[in-house]
Amino acid sequence: MSISAEYAQEHLNDPAVLCCRREAGTKLSHHDFEDPAIFDDLVSSGLLKLDGALTIGQAMGSTLTKTMDSLNPILKDCVDKVQDVAASAVASSATPATPAQASSVTQSFSGGKLKIHIGEGKGIDLEIPMGLGGGAASTGATGTAAVGASATGSAVGGEKVVRTLTRKHFNITEVKRGKETKIDGTTLYIREGIEKEAVDSQELVHDLKVDIITKDNYHIYSETIMDTQPIATKEGDAELGTGVTRVLDNVVMMLTGTTDEGVQIGEFGSSEGYLDENVMWNRPSCPDHGDIIIRGTVKIENLKNMERPGPLAAHKAFDVITQEIRLALKELDEKYCVSKEEFKQVRRPGKKKVALVKEIMGQGAMHDNLILPVEPVGILGAHPNVDLCNVPVVCSPLEVLDGCIHALTCIGPASKEQSRHYWREPMVLEMLFDEEIDFAGVIFVGSPQINSEKFYVSKRVGMTCEAMDVEGAIVTTEGFGNNHVDFVSHIEQIGMRGIKVVGMSFCAKQGALVVGNKYVTAMVDNNKSEAGIENEILGNNTLCPEDAVRAIMMLKAEMTGEPIKKPEKEWNPNVKTQNIELISSVTGKPVELVKNEKSLPMSDKYKKKYANA
Amino acid sequence: MAKKKVVSKAKKSTTKVAKKVTKAASRSTKKTATKAKKETAVAIKSSSDIELLLRQHVGKPCVPCVKKGDKVTVGTLIARPQGLGANIHSSVDGVVSKITDAAIFIKPSKALITMGKKVVKPVSAKKEDLLGRVAEAGVVGMGGAGFPTGVKLNVDLHGGYVLVNAAECEPILAHNMAQLVLFANETVKGIQYAMKITNAKQGIVAIKQKHSHEIESLLKALKGIDNIRIHLLPDIYPMGEERAIIRETLGILLPVTALPTEANSIVINVETVLRVYEAIELGRPVVSKKITVSGKIKGTENGVMVFHDVPIGVRVKDVINAAGGIDGKYGEIIMGGPFMGKPCSLDDPVTKTTGGIIVTEPFKDYKGAKVGLLVCACGADENRLKDIAKKYNMNVVDVEYCKQAKDPKGNGVYKCENPGNCPGQALKCMNIKKAGATEILISNCSDCTNTVMGSAPGLGLNVHHSTDHIFETVGMQVQRHLTKSKFVEGPIPEGCTASRNPESNEPGGIKQVSHSEAAKSSEDYSKPYVFKEDTPDGELVISIESGSDISVKYED
Repeated sequence: MSISAEYAQEHLNDPAVLCCRREAGTKLSHHDFEDPAIFDDLVSSGLLKLDGALTIGQAMGSTLTKTMDSLNPILKDCVDKVQDVAASAVASSATPATPAQASSVTQSFSGGKLKIHIGEGKGIDLEIPMGLGGGAASTGATGTAAVGASATGSAVGGEKVVRTLTRKHFNITEVKRGKETKIDGTTLYIREGIEKEAVDSQELVHDLKVDIITKDNYHIYSETIMDTQPIATKEGDAELGTGVTRVLDNVVMMLTGTTDEGVQIGEFGSSEGYLDENVMWNRPSCPDHGDIIIRGTVKIENLKNMERPGPLAAHKAFDVITQEIRLALKELDEKYCVSKEEFKQVRRPGKKKVALVKEIMGQGAMHDNLILPVEPVGILGAHPNVDLCNVPVVCSPLEVLDGCIHALTCIGPASKEQSRHYWREPMVLEMLFDEEIDFAGVIFVGSPQINSEKFYVSKRVGMTCEAMDVEGAIVTTEGFGNNHVDFVSHIEQIGMRGIKVVGMSFCAKQGALVVGNKYVTAMVDNNKSEAGIENEILGNNTLCPEDAVRAIMMLKAEMTGEPIKKPEKEWNPNVKTQNIELISSVTGKPVELVKNEKSLPMSDKYKKKYANA
Repeated sequence: MAKKKVVSKAKKSTTKVAKKVTKAASRSTKKTATKAKKETAVAIKSSSDIELLLRQHVGKPCVPCVKKGDKVTVGTLIARPQGLGANIHSSVDGVVSKITDAAIFIKPSKALITMGKKVVKPVSAKKEDLLGRVAEAGVVGMGGAGFPTGVKLNVDLHGGYVLVNAAECEPILAHNMAQLVLFANETVKGIQYAMKITNAKQGIVAIKQKHSHEIESLLKALKGIDNIRIHLLPDIYPMGEERAIIRETLGILLPVTALPTEANSIVINVETVLRVYEAIELGRPVVSKKITVSGKIKGTENGVMVFHDVPIGVRVKDVINAAGGIDGKYGEIIMGGPFMGKPCSLDDPVTKTTGGIIVTEPFKDYKGAKVGLLVCACGADENRLKDIAKKYNMNVVDVEYCKQAKDPKGNGVYKCENPGNCPGQALKCMNIKKAGATEILISNCSDCTNTVMGSAPGLGLNVHHSTDHIFETVGMQVQRHLTKSKFVEGPIPEGCTASRNPESNEPGGIKQVSHSEAAKSSEDYSKPYVFKEDTPDGELVISIESGSDISVKYED
């Protein structure tokens, strides 16, 4: 279809093809050109040959010398003259009467800009007061310098450590039931009968079973997995994201469940089945192979699985148990601490400032996230992002790594980010340790159900990034389809402010973006599955270090003005392989790729549903 | 090819219905109708009571002002408008037999209804009250829109333009052209009245270049009149759309939301101006309509017949029977032209906006083939395309709209942003292909149809146009590739203007002006547009895509 004047200016170097029949004598303008975005499809269907075509820049403003039909490329002998592209840009500002060629005047102004663009016109008067510009601009410069100077404190070479977080690791080798919840050396005891208290705490929860699953016992049936959580607690009065956090190694909490009638508490697919066939071990989101799994299986009131209170009650009931373990962990003797990790949040003024935008689910029911509990991945003190109207909430990277997100998400199991994912979010870790960038923070934004709300929150994301004055941003999401509407809108809102932006999502074959805009040019696909689909293997297509590395490299490339190649027409897994090889050869560090569902025994369900996909 | 002859003299017979028709091939240009007489008597045998719809116009239904059992004669006022609307008069002598919410039924005193020289009860407004006569006569836009003419003409154009739409753009229809041969002087007088009422300085009759005979007739009637000129249009569809007429004759392309008054003009159909003349000069209310009958009609060899004065309210089947009757099996009956017409039933009554009655061949059976629809604002709408697809036994898998089809009021009424100038259709065709269709059914104009032909067949889509079954019925070539120019070429009569290629230097071309430039002379648009907003220390971005005399001031 014909294109706008602005779009034509962006595509001056693309081939000029007539969108419709044009008669000899037509002076070519943007109205006459077909949209280059559909040329691939046209060429592959044999409707279009681009050999010898002039570019839009060369053809615009020339006059057709013969009548030509639609989808014919404009060749040299079809026009009276070939425009000199470089000259025409100059000529257009000299002769503003030339239609459809923009002349623009930019004037620095009062710390900002006064930008006037006139597509076409004559007799245009602009009155702008003189002398305002210079003074204001120099104020701005001093302002920046002042910020630089104040960044002393614990500054090392201009760097500033904003805060630190220490993780103390305690090893667990055995989990047993006992008279009281306690940790005895490396043995964790869970009080017998605690289930009743958990059930009684929530009206909608009718049953809760706890079992302890060890490595030898992974071939066990499980209802759909609602969440996997670390067991961690704060030392003393420390707030989330600072001070000391104690965490138990080699053990995780896993919440599963159904309604009384046995309906899985999941929406788009569910991961019920044998654990060893349905869990992608060692994903940031999942249990590691070898972990002892403390599994809670809840039954909630019928029909409440698709309403907000149902899944939330399940999480709350299960947290009664986790909280008792946390209290025991607080009492554990320091001597059992096996290792310490220290995370520093460092600001690096002068380096390219970047932010991480994480889109989290906020459609309601099980699509919710509790933000900023008092304890890591706790409940108390946290606010559901649905209740916060899904607006952006800025967190420090250390808050993220300290479990500031208690995830209720239950979108497709393969791409959902469970609570444990945030605890060890590869993108946060990659950006936190990258000394070439100034990592400003993590912006969480919920994905609302209603389109108008999606655009409401994405505009706030744009404003937040603008206010943070970042040069680049990475936007991640989980799931696909509905949430892609706001995902690409976030990218647009950030991109339109002149901020470079890279998107990360599961896309591949099944999750191809349903919408797009001109800023969605740099994308990293989180897919790991062989067939490029949501295959209900828990955590299979979530963000991993191999994805984080590609995203940060892509963002750096964008920020230094290097072009990102256009995507291929259809999903091609080789793009990822080539990029990984390229990154390894540049950095000298091999990037190890994670395994996918092929490494697991195949379930009957998988055989039926996906083996031929 | 061209046969434009008048079948002579109405026979007063009770068995065989007398016809007074102009038989014409719609594309005729030959000078053959010189012997045309101004007698327009038509005798139609009414099979039942006539039905005068209370809503034959844009606006609300009229309120009856007669009651059951009242005796009426031709011209008796039987219903008045409430709000926007136009008077309705009886088209026969007879007795009111039934009144419903939708219509007034009149039992004619004679089954054979004749019109023409028949004495008509004149309107009561004085002859000097030009607008009053037009309003009282119940004149509405007869090109199909049905906008009350008394309201349309109630405007001061401050020396603007009365644009007369004589494009008769719908193929097959021929009653407008026949009128220009038979009633050129009356038509011109009607234009002069419209100009006088609206305070216009210039009248322009827009007509296709191919109608040389009708142009000649008009030129003769215009002799000595220097404030009305003829503008020649190219032979493509659509040229008769209101904003297309303005673009072609004045060089101004209005946005879809604008009314013609924004270009200091009104656009009025050529039959409507004749009715204006009749209302003012003869005091005659609107009781009859010019109708083209075509298609599978006995004895016509799929030709075209023009009835000059069909009494409003008679049944479609009575008009068809007057023309000769349906010839064998048929597909559907269309009221209107091939592009914009709608299917109707044999019992539907003729209204003030009925232009054509076309009987089509039976539909082919496509046995459930998957079809994608491409809806255009200039032709059949989505519902009509779905109706045609169903009649073809096609299964609709995708509906696409032309990029230029806009629905400014959100009421499902689409308008084209630039009628007759294609914005490209390759993407739409690809979408339809991707939806799994093997067929594509379109309602596009000449130019857009041509573009569809540039991609759809290459994608393996069989192209069907909403007018195919109609054109095939009358033996015309179906709409596909465009082989004609979108511009008027060659010599034109002296004093005429024409839609020339803007890059050509041929005489008679119209200078293209932007909407804003045109509006400059209009009072409403010369007001400065003031926009005030405090600008904090951020960016102030002003983007003006096009315009002239733009002043941007920065004030503290």
